[in-house]
Amino acid sequence: MKLEPKQLTEFPSERQITAARFNHDGSILAAAGYEPAVRRWQFDGKTLTPLPSLNGFHGYSTALAFHPQQPHLFCADSWGQLRCCEGEKTLWQHETAHDGWLRQIAVSPNGKRIATCGKDHFIRVWDVASGKKLAEHDAGEDVYALTIVDSITFGDMRGRIETWDLDLKKKQRSFDAAVLYKLDRIQDLGGLRVLRFIDDGKTLLAAGTTPQNGATPQSIPTILFFDTASGKLTKTVTHGTNKEGYIHDLVQHPSGCLMSVSSGTPGSGMLFLLNPADKEPFHVNTKMANCHSLALHPDGKHFVVTSTNRDSNGNGKSLGKDGQYKTNTSPLHLFEM
Amino acid sequence: MNPLCTPRDHTFSRRAFLGGGLGLLTSPLFAEAMKQRDKQVLFVWLDGGMSQLETWDPKPNTEFGGPFRSIPTSVPGVHFCELMPKLAKQMHKLCVVRSMCTKDNAHSSGVDRIQRGDPKNRGVPYPHFGAGVAKLLGPGSSGLPPYVWIKPGSGGFRAEDAGFLGPKYGSLAFGDGKPPDNLLRHPDISAEQDAARNELRQMLDQRFAKQREKRVVEANASVFDMANKLMARADIFDTSKLPERDRDRYGRHDFGQHMLVARQMLEAGVRFVKVTSYGWDTHGDNFNAHATMVPKFDQAFSAMLEDLEASGLLKTTLVICLSEFGRTPRINGHVGRDHWSEAWSIAMAGHGVKHGMVVGETNERGTEVKSKPFDIGSAFHTWYRALGIDPMKTEFDNAGQPLPIAHDDMLPIKEALA
Repeated sequence: MKLEPKQLTEFPSERQITAARFNHDGSILAAAGYEPAVRRWQFDGKTLTPLPSLNGFHGYSTALAFHPQQPHLFCADSWGQLRCCEGEKTLWQHETAHDGWLRQIAVSPNGKRIATCGKDHFIRVWDVASGKKLAEHDAGEDVYALTIVDSITFGDMRGRIETWDLDLKKKQRSFDAAVLYKLDRIQDLGGLRVLRFIDDGKTLLAAGTTPQNGATPQSIPTILFFDTASGKLTKTVTHGTNKEGYIHDLVQHPSGCLMSVSSGTPGSGMLFLLNPADKEPFHVNTKMANCHSLALHPDGKHFVVTSTNRDSNGNGKSLGKDGQYKTNTSPLHLFEM
Repeated sequence: MNPLCTPRDHTFSRRAFLGGGLGLLTSPLFAEAMKQRDKQVLFVWLDGGMSQLETWDPKPNTEFGGPFRSIPTSVPGVHFCELMPKLAKQMHKLCVVRSMCTKDNAHSSGVDRIQRGDPKNRGVPYPHFGAGVAKLLGPGSSGLPPYVWIKPGSGGFRAEDAGFLGPKYGSLAFGDGKPPDNLLRHPDISAEQDAARNELRQMLDQRFAKQREKRVVEANASVFDMANKLMARADIFDTSKLPERDRDRYGRHDFGQHMLVARQMLEAGVRFVKVTSYGWDTHGDNFNAHATMVPKFDQAFSAMLEDLEASGLLKTTLVICLSEFGRTPRINGHVGRDHWSEAWSIAMAGHGVKHGMVVGETNERGTEVKSKPFDIGSAFHTWYRALGIDPMKTEFDNAGQPLPIAHDDMLPIKEALA
C-alpha cells in the first residue's frame, strides 16, 4: 500500500524541537528540544492545543518516549536527568541517570523496562514501575542510539552496533555500520541517529547519514538494513545528494512503509516515505525546512513533522522586527494520510 | 633592549651582540638583550571559528547555551564548558578575554583581518602577527627561522604572510608537522661538496644581488640561511625520539602531534610558532562536532601549558589561542552555529599577560558584549606590549614609509596586561 500524506495545517512553536511523540491513545503530543522543558499539546484530531510544559530540566531536553499502553512519559535532558511522568506529575526521577547528555530512551514492547544511552558511554536499563536501575553496560564510546526488545541493541559514534543481553552481560550479535562514521581532521563524525527493528524483529534498520567531511558536514541520508539473525548488511538505501544531511527520525507505519525526516547541510532536508522492499522513496516532501522529528499518531492516519523555520541559518547578528536577536523555531506540520 | 628603539635597531643589536665578545656578557645591556631575545610566541589558530559557548564562555541552561554543562575552573567563580576539563584545571595560568567584538563575519576577509590586526587601510598588505614579531624581535639567540607555522596539509615558505615587510619575514610552514621536502643534505653529498656548492651559490648570489631590489635579495639569501640552520637542527622536527608518554599526553591526533612539534620548536628557541587546526567551521552538527574536537584541543593545549611551565618557558613565551571569530548563539536548522564576530572569546597565557584573569563579559544569552568590547587591533596592541614592544612608539618601515604596528586608534586591553 502506498500512502499519500497531505498536510492539514501548521502550528507554531516558540522553540526548536528535536524529538516529538504521541502518547498511547494519541491525545497528547510531547516534544523535547532546545530548552530545559518538555512541551505538550492536546490533540483532538484536528488541532494541537498547548498544555503546561514539564519544567525542571537542565540544558536541553533531549529525548522522550511514551509507554505503549499507559499514560507514562519518559523524558530526559542533556545534563543526565531521566524522569517518568504521568501528566504533570512526576512518578520518579533520577537527576544523574547519566553523566551528561542523555541521548535516547527506548521502551520495551511490554512497557516494563526502559533503556537509556548517553555521551558517558553507558547503556542503562530501568524498571518502569519503580525507576530502579536494573542493569548497565559501558560501551566504551559515545552511544548515539538504541532500541530494546528482549535484548538491548545500541550503536555508537563509530557505527559499531551490538545486541546485548544485559541481564546475562553477554553480547549476542554485532552489526557493522562503520560506513556511518568518518574521522575528518580532528572531528569524529558519527552518522548514526536511529535504530529500529522491523519485520517482527527480523530486520534491523540503522539510519542517519554517510558523512563525507567535517565542520560543515556534507553527507548523504542513509538507511542500512541488517539481517538480525546473521548480523549481515542486506541493503543500503541512500537518498538525495551529499547536501541532504542526516535522517533524524524514522518510524514504521502499520502498513509497513518507512517514514523518515531529515535535515540537510547545506540542503534543507525532507520527509520521505519508503517501502522497505524498494530502493527509492515513493513519496518525497521538500516543502518543510530541516525536519528533526516525526510523531506518528496511533490511529495511523495522522502524523506530525517538526521542521525549522526558513532562513534559520546566517552569519552575524540577525534582528527580528522587534529589534531583538532572532531565535529559530520549529513549526509543527500536521499531516493526514 | 630599549622599548623606544626602532625595528632596525633590533636586528643591529643582535648582530652587535653576537660579535661583541664576552665582555658584553656582564653588562646590564646584555641582560636586557637576553630578556628581549628570549621572548617567544605560541600562536594557536583554530581555523573556521571555535564556538565560545562550547568552550571559554559557556551559558548553560539558557536558550542558546547548548546541551553542555559548565564546570568550575581553578579560579573561583570562573567556569568553562564541560568539554575542557583539563584546561579548567589550568585557568590560573590563563587570561581569557570574553568581550571580543570584531565585526567581520566572513572567512575570506576575517582570517586575514584578524591575523594582520586590521590596521587602517594604507594601501599595502600588513604583516601577520608572526611576521611582525619576526621583524621586530628577530630570530633570537637560536638563529632558527623566526616564524614557523605547523599546519595540516602542505608546507613551504609563505612569503605572503609578511605583507609589506617583504618575503624575508614570511612563515616557514611545516606541512603535517614535517619539514619542507629535500631540506636535509642528500646522503650521497658530502659535507665538503655541500660547502663548495654553497660557496658557488654565494658567488652567484652576489652577482644576482647587483641587479635586484635589496629586499628580494635578502629574502633569497634568508631562505638559504634558514635552510642551513634547519639542516643543522634537524632534531627539532624529529618526533621519533619523543617519549611515548608525551605523544599520549598531547593526543595521537594531528593537532596533538603538531603541538608536540611546536613544543620542540619553542624549546629550540624559535621566536614565533604558529599551530593551525582546521575544521572548526561547524555550520552543521555543531554540538557533536565540538564534543569530539574540543576535548582534543583541551588535551593538547593543556599539555603544552603544563610543559611550558615545567620547563620555565611559560615565563618567556606569550601563548595566544583564537579563531577568526566565534559562532552564533542561534542554532540553525542543521544543528549548527554560524559565523559570529559580535561577542566571542580569545585565550592567552604566559609572558606579559595576567594569569587567572577573565576580561570582559557577555550578556546572559551570549548575544552582546556587556562590558567594553575589544576589536582585534586592541589585541595586537596587547600582544606587542606583552612582548615589550610599545606600539605607540614603534613603527614598521615600509620602504621608508613609517607605518604603525597596530591600529592607530586602538589601545591595549590593559586589564589583560601583567
